[in-house]
Amino acid sequence: MMLTLVFPLLLLGGAVLAAQSSVNGRLGAKVGVLASAWLTFVIGAVVTFLLVFFFEPAHSATLFSVPKWQLTGALFGVVYMLAIVFAVPRVGTAAATVAVISGQLIMSLLVDHFGWLDNDRLPLDPSRLAAIVLLAGALFLIYLSNARRERQTASA
Amino acid sequence: MQQIATLLFVLCAGMGLSVEAGLLGPLGEQVGHLSATLSIFLVGGLLLTLAMVFIGRPPLTTLFQQPRWLLTGGLLGPIYVVVLTLTTPIVGVGMTMVGILCGQIGASLIIDHFGLLGSERRAIDGYRLLALALIFLALWLIY
Repeated sequence: MMLTLVFPLLLLGGAVLAAQSSVNGRLGAKVGVLASAWLTFVIGAVVTFLLVFFFEPAHSATLFSVPKWQLTGALFGVVYMLAIVFAVPRVGTAAATVAVISGQLIMSLLVDHFGWLDNDRLPLDPSRLAAIVLLAGALFLIYLSNARRERQTASA
Repeated sequence: MQQIATLLFVLCAGMGLSVEAGLLGPLGEQVGHLSATLSIFLVGGLLLTLAMVFIGRPPLTTLFQQPRWLLTGGLLGPIYVVVLTLTTPIVGVGMTMVGILCGQIGASLIIDHFGLLGSERRAIDGYRLLALALIFLALWLIY
């Protein structure tokens, strides 16, 4: 029951990510990868600052009191944004999305397997290995779809 | 060939994103999820601002000559974060991830198929449908 209410919301949450990649890629193709990524982060910071200011409940710790290494996630976020803005105009939204997701899932399986970042170890079992193979297969299929399209446009 | 290199690059960026999520989860527990997200956008935005000053070659004015909807990418990320913070306590992390990924992949195929949001058209074909099936199968195996 709850799920029927929540699931459309989750789909929307995923859909805005795909839309964001697409919009940013388009903007990047026009004004440059760096400028597009910069604008996304600055606007994102403005919006989340407003959200924090008005809606964040009080916590005992603040961003200024936690250990600094916990704040390094942004480095990965920046690389991701640059990669997406670069890739979307070249390979399309779906190919870029599937590549990112495959990377995320494969890495999270590795993190579990080795227990990195203070996580509990959750070893790779056959079904998780199969999942990695399937993800690689999916990415390859999207590549094939793109390659066929390029051949068609070349011969047309 | 260039396509494969681009895809591998994006795949590595995706791996980094998992590390980011691994850092962000515990941070959010301590300072709040909105604040944790703010740290990402703020630090990232400041670093990119420095990069713009030193290595950007912006006629920055071209940015604001674009149609305004092209500049809204930054508004969409926070929507995702709000959805995440609302739903995770209700249905759990696993279900949240599966739902988000379904929406993300589905929307990306639709955007390509119709050439929405100014992107090039890349129609849904047999390869893409099969890829979608493999991803669902992989998600089912993982969660």
